[in-house]
Amino acid sequence: MKYFSVIPLSIPLILNLSCGEGIAPEPIVQTGFSGTVTFVGNWPEGITRTHIVVFKDPLLTAGDFNAFNLKFVSVEIPYGSQVFNFNSVDTAVVKIGEGEFSYVAVAQQKTINVSLNRKDWFVVGVYYADGDTTKSGKLVIPQNTLVKNINIICDFNNPPPQPPGG
Amino acid sequence: MKKMNCIKSKIFFFIFILISADSSAQQFSIYGTVKDNSGNPLVGANVILLGTEKGAATDEEGKFEIKNLNSRTYTLSVTMIGYKSEKILDLRLKDRSVFIEIVLEPIVIESGPVIITANKYEQDISELPVSAEVIPSEKLSRKNFTNLEDAMRYVPGVNMTSYQISIRGSSGYSRGAGTRVLLAYDGIPFYTGDTGEIIWESIPITQVERVEIIKGASSSLYGSAAIGGLINVITKKIPDEPVTYFKSSIGLWDNPYYDEWKWADNPRIFNSLTLSHSRKIGDLGIAGSFSRIEDMSYKQSGFYHRYIGYLKAEYDFSESSSASLFFNSLNQKSGNFLYWKDSRNALIPPEADQGQTVTTNRQMFGLLFKQIVNENFFINFRGSYYRSDWKDQTASANSAMSDLFRGEIQFNNSLTDKIFLISGIESSFSNVDSDIFGNPTSFSLGAYSQSEYKFEFPLIVTLGLRYDFTKIDTIESSSALSPKLGLNYKVNENLIFRSSIAFGFRAPTLAETFTSTTASGITIKPNPHLKPESNFTFEIGSIYKPFKELTFDAAIFQNEFYDFIEPGVDPADGLIYFDNVVRARIQGAELSSNIKLFDEKLSLSISHTYLWSRDLEKYKSLKYRPRHLSFVTAEYSFSDFMLGADFRYWSRVEEIDKELIDLGLVPDGENRVAVYVLDLRAGYNFSDLGLPLRMNFNANNIFNYNYVELIGNLAPIRDYSFSLESIL
Repeated sequence: MKYFSVIPLSIPLILNLSCGEGIAPEPIVQTGFSGTVTFVGNWPEGITRTHIVVFKDPLLTAGDFNAFNLKFVSVEIPYGSQVFNFNSVDTAVVKIGEGEFSYVAVAQQKTINVSLNRKDWFVVGVYYADGDTTKSGKLVIPQNTLVKNINIICDFNNPPPQPPGG
Repeated sequence: MKKMNCIKSKIFFFIFILISADSSAQQFSIYGTVKDNSGNPLVGANVILLGTEKGAATDEEGKFEIKNLNSRTYTLSVTMIGYKSEKILDLRLKDRSVFIEIVLEPIVIESGPVIITANKYEQDISELPVSAEVIPSEKLSRKNFTNLEDAMRYVPGVNMTSYQISIRGSSGYSRGAGTRVLLAYDGIPFYTGDTGEIIWESIPITQVERVEIIKGASSSLYGSAAIGGLINVITKKIPDEPVTYFKSSIGLWDNPYYDEWKWADNPRIFNSLTLSHSRKIGDLGIAGSFSRIEDMSYKQSGFYHRYIGYLKAEYDFSESSSASLFFNSLNQKSGNFLYWKDSRNALIPPEADQGQTVTTNRQMFGLLFKQIVNENFFINFRGSYYRSDWKDQTASANSAMSDLFRGEIQFNNSLTDKIFLISGIESSFSNVDSDIFGNPTSFSLGAYSQSEYKFEFPLIVTLGLRYDFTKIDTIESSSALSPKLGLNYKVNENLIFRSSIAFGFRAPTLAETFTSTTASGITIKPNPHLKPESNFTFEIGSIYKPFKELTFDAAIFQNEFYDFIEPGVDPADGLIYFDNVVRARIQGAELSSNIKLFDEKLSLSISHTYLWSRDLEKYKSLKYRPRHLSFVTAEYSFSDFMLGADFRYWSRVEEIDKELIDLGLVPDGENRVAVYVLDLRAGYNFSDLGLPLRMNFNANNIFNYNYVELIGNLAPIRDYSFSLESIL
């Protein structure tokens, strides 16, 4: 009958394990960045989509332009916009978390279907930190912080240097 | 004569034959009683005339009668759980009916349930070389299951990821595109021609006699899809007397654990209604059922309205040949909940997915034909046609129609008393017309042979080999050989060992190869270079029964997969596709025990499965495989009342579709926990009060524990259901 002692022993164990609530709603945290994209000049014809994009590692080769390096994609910026105010928490297709990011840009595409091939994208604006336009600015997002003033100017008449593979 | 000697040597077994006075009729019968050695009648013993389709079960007084027999010599077989089976040879009906009184000898090791799936013919479960489970229809009824998928969550060694089944870690999650577990319907494979997936909701659960589950590669008999295990749904036989069955159930989803998850003001109700009737008219048996099942769901866009129709006709052409024809139909309109919006909105989908619906129509025709050539040789034919048609009202407006034709002929031969040989050939063809898979076709051909040797030791050796050829549209054809060796050794009346070694393979489905679509921001692209996957599986196990009320079953197993097909993200374009990416290994152990106490009024089942699955190239766990699976079931029956409880624990899965989280497609998708679910049930049978009525009450997930099986999909919250069923 010693086998049967397992019955009363197992009941409180089961009750204890089952009484936890399990998965819970995560608190809303404002981790991300915000700013303004300003467009200068006339929008090119045939643009099918325009997004703010953020890459974790620098775009040193065409292969760095890939889905796993891509850490943020905004909602589409409407065609013909002159100014686009954004907050990455509210305007994300792909949400961003805390960390350091090497390349923040506005990129456009003319293909009908969405493509992640480097050659299908054209960069029209890059984020520069501290007014240094010689290299792309680094974006640092601490935990539970909304980094402000990540502003990008897109001058259609004077596009920035293109990453490799374009 | 050997049997006659046996009779003389055992005082508890005797046969008394009386010659009927009436010998004028052209048709005769065998009738009599089956009792134990204390003279108590045995209810439910199976009495079968070997080499014919004729048989009967004993009634409450232990009586049976097999009618409409010709004047000839028969062999009669009597089987019953807990008793030694007996055969009566040379039973002559020369212009007379025969009365027989049979006494069965109880055995120390109670026989397990009869199982037909493992080797494509009826065997005692304790004689198999592989681990197996049987779910009887009563269990399905008592738990108020309306979908077989839900019942699978309570099988030792089985875990579900949403609607995809994994037996001992065989499968992860691929949104229905292919399965490593084959579901069969009375032995006929039941998967769609396009996705190759199991459509659980098609199965009319009230027509199910039992569900047999084989926990190991079964490709050597069943081919491609059975690489990770097999489920065979055995439907009810049509009884001699007319039977009308009615079942109705209603249930309520409780409020979610957190107020912020509450999204609807009205109560979320679910209900079902089933009506069926079966009867025999001469040699023709017919059965039909209709079910309507509706669920408002605890999730927004999780609702469905489902209608299931089922027709079955059985006809005995003669004592030695019979045919069974069945038709199964599913019509369903449902919401389309892919992933939650986020953990604060766990029961609603993202705005872009809200309001999406899917309409499904599926029909299956099946034909089973059995021809008994003589007592030692019979032939089975199984044919089926499965039409599937679905379309969704999403932004992509996906739709697909597929036709799957399948035929199999199987030869069963008892070469001697000790050697049984089965061989067969089967073929299938499917074509698809779809804007998601294109219009591909698929053809397969398989041939198998398996022999079973029963030595005196007593050792049962099973040897099998199957060849499969597969051609998927314009892709290069593939073929595979799947050998198998099984051993079952009965050391003594209390201890049985089993072992099996088998190779399996699985051809990619049309969906895995050709899917091209976008849903919920997830884009899937085709991979025409996909190759078949294969595996090698090994198991050793034992059944130990120290006394009648206590059983232990233990097994260790290993499963090696090659060219494992898994969905993944192509880093070049961020699109999802299926690829032969993984060399995988799954090792594990399973221990289960059943105890019956207080004159078998209380039964307790405990099981634990340890799974160690890993991707041998990335040195990490396979996706959606819990490391621990535990189940505890207790049921207490007294008089007409029943109380039961079921508890299951699955450890937190280590690996998930992290790519979908990294790409931002499933917000808060990393949220997952171990599964602890406790269900309670109670039932009462009114038959002693003269009412042909039974009621069942169930409270599931009684502590409203929140967990996910699939990322971004909160599993069912607490619900209450009540059912009434009646057999007239």
